Amino acid sequence: MSSHGERAPEAELGLLDATMIGMGAMIGAGIFVLTGLAAEIAGPGAIFVFALNGVVTAFTGLSYAELASAIPKSGGGYAFVREVFADLQSFLMGWMLWFAYMIAGALYALGFAPNFLELLHVYGIVPPPDQVGAIALPVIDAGIPAGVGLAFVAVALFVALNAVSTAASGSIETIFTATKVTILMIFVGFGVASPMFSSAEFQPLFPGDRTAFAVLPAMGLTFIAFEGYDLITTVTEEVKNPRENIPKAIFVSLAVTVVVYLLVVTVAIGTLGASGLAAAGEAGIAQAATEFMPTGLPVIKNGGAVIVFGAVFSTLTALNAVVIASSRVAFSMGREGQLLPGFGQLHHRFGTPFVAIVTSAIVMLGSVVLPTQSAGNMSSLFFLLSFIVVNGAVIKLRRERPDMTRPYEMPLYPLPPLLGIVLNLVLTVVLIEFLIRTDPLALVLSVSWIVLGVVTYVGLNRFKTARGVGAGTDEIGEPDELETTDVDAAFEEESEGGAGTDAGLAADEDD
Amino acid sequence: MTTKLDIIIAGGGRVGFQTAEMLDDLGHDVRIVERDGERCEQIADAYFATVIEGDAANPDILEQAAVDRADAVAALTGETGLNLAVCMAAERLSPEIRSVCRIDRAAGESYTRFVDAVLFPERAGARVAVNEIIGGDVQTLADVTGTLDIMQIRVVEGAPAANKTLQEIRFPSGTLVISDDDGERIARPDTTLDPGRRYIVAVEPDVAGEVMNLLRG
Repeated sequence: MSSHGERAPEAELGLLDATMIGMGAMIGAGIFVLTGLAAEIAGPGAIFVFALNGVVTAFTGLSYAELASAIPKSGGGYAFVREVFADLQSFLMGWMLWFAYMIAGALYALGFAPNFLELLHVYGIVPPPDQVGAIALPVIDAGIPAGVGLAFVAVALFVALNAVSTAASGSIETIFTATKVTILMIFVGFGVASPMFSSAEFQPLFPGDRTAFAVLPAMGLTFIAFEGYDLITTVTEEVKNPRENIPKAIFVSLAVTVVVYLLVVTVAIGTLGASGLAAAGEAGIAQAATEFMPTGLPVIKNGGAVIVFGAVFSTLTALNAVVIASSRVAFSMGREGQLLPGFGQLHHRFGTPFVAIVTSAIVMLGSVVLPTQSAGNMSSLFFLLSFIVVNGAVIKLRRERPDMTRPYEMPLYPLPPLLGIVLNLVLTVVLIEFLIRTDPLALVLSVSWIVLGVVTYVGLNRFKTARGVGAGTDEIGEPDELETTDVDAAFEEESEGGAGTDAGLAADEDD
Repeated sequence: MTTKLDIIIAGGGRVGFQTAEMLDDLGHDVRIVERDGERCEQIADAYFATVIEGDAANPDILEQAAVDRADAVAALTGETGLNLAVCMAAERLSPEIRSVCRIDRAAGESYTRFVDAVLFPERAGARVAVNEIIGGDVQTLADVTGTLDIMQIRVVEGAPAANKTLQEIRFPSGTLVISDDDGERIARPDTTLDPGRRYIVAVEPDVAGEVMNLLRG
């Protein structure tokens, strides 16, 4: 019996678990929240949006697979880039990825809210979502929209949960993901069988004055749906036989995800129609389901409730996953000395990266006031940018460390990373152009975050220099230098240490 | 302040491999340079360090191992001459680096004129290599049975567990704080982890990194 409180160590993850972590993030909320928004931009062409995103992202998937097999570090894209690039670049990579996850958290929370209201509505607890007014706050005599309030509560809840416990093991994630996929397959099954689908009209693919290029901004917006393999690589050290299982998990989860997306989007557009889907926004899939699912069932009353439940469940589990992911990025940066040391420390009682989680939470909570579309845009933008860097990292690593052992080498190098860079860059440019026209707020916030990053970087190095260690000469405040000094100092201390006995402690002798 | 070190191990044989594995358990970054391609694959399979295939005395290979940002280099191949060459090349490329050289005879003590530390694996084993590389604040005292380590760890000011009593801290399972400060009494729930003092701690390798984080930041 030990004299202090303990926590159980984390479980080891198999191929299935790793695959499910990736799928869980990709099939999570994106499909429920973003399908309607994609249909709004691209019309029935939204089907291609998800297929093409799958293709674009596959090249980055190859890069992730190669890096993850050769660099045995948890921490995802940031850890790989840190291995290859200089301080500022790797700092910015972590900074962007951190933000992408935090905003994704806000996006999922915002997607959760209307679906949750829809679920309550299905059971007749509240009026239809568009008729739910603001929740009156008696104390401050002001109203906040119900959706924002719900999103805020959801974020706060998951952050609190993750701040105090290291739960969320792989096996739970596997059950979550299996549940989500099952619900979606029920949706697809009933949708295909419904009379609405047999009379489905996919023509014109690009209605109105849209051209085939309308898929590009929609691709940019929904790109966030494919961020899952970064999540797989944030847990690589917990995966069994990683050099084989990580690449496999990346490819399998990507392939399955694309198939699931295509089926679901086809059914949704086939039943509700692109315009109906677009009008339903974040709750598009749930709304489509309530149209064709059988009603009058026992207990669940309305078959559509299953799908609405699926949407609520998916957005919540995806929210949980990105809360963990964002804090892990910040934690890794803290460990590397690229954020204040507190970020890289575990809490003495909870055993979690407490500071990293709480800080991520503040940004996430602040972001739930954003419109859903802005959140989607910003998160996608930052994932696109960071994926460009990851593809660049593969090329740089191949050039600088040709003799490094790479258990998985991508085929047809250097084509995949080059294509990855070019295609991601095209989407980035299109997305930025789209943002200038439709969502300047998102663009301003994105640029501000990067500026804030540079300021933080400079400030942090000043802070380190001010502490009088490793005064920056060639590379400002290089963390390595700090550590060397620390070790040397420790060696000198060693000879003089250990003589003092603390009288105060003698008191606990017969405890 | 983070106490995570960036370390190059030259030679992925028994000594190098064991040393690298222990360092990784303690939460440090390790890169292994190994000549034999097949051995490289095996090390990559173990998945705790990046591996560079090649001769560590070759400056190009050392550069691939990012010698410029490493805190320490440990040349642990079976050939003393090669090890010395690796250490000196690394010091030339990165003057601040801490160099640890494996030698094959006692007379090798004289090598300390050129490198920061020497070791005889036959006498001391990989345990000593870890202690030399990390420094005096964390000392592995013994491998008890199999993999369990008993270490003497100096608590760092500002570490998450510093100035807390044991009952306030939840260590991961597989951790036992054995001694009171400086090993005079057995630890009790109200024992405080004072920064600057050392404690004897038994840990299982899986959780050593987490324990290091709590005690060393």
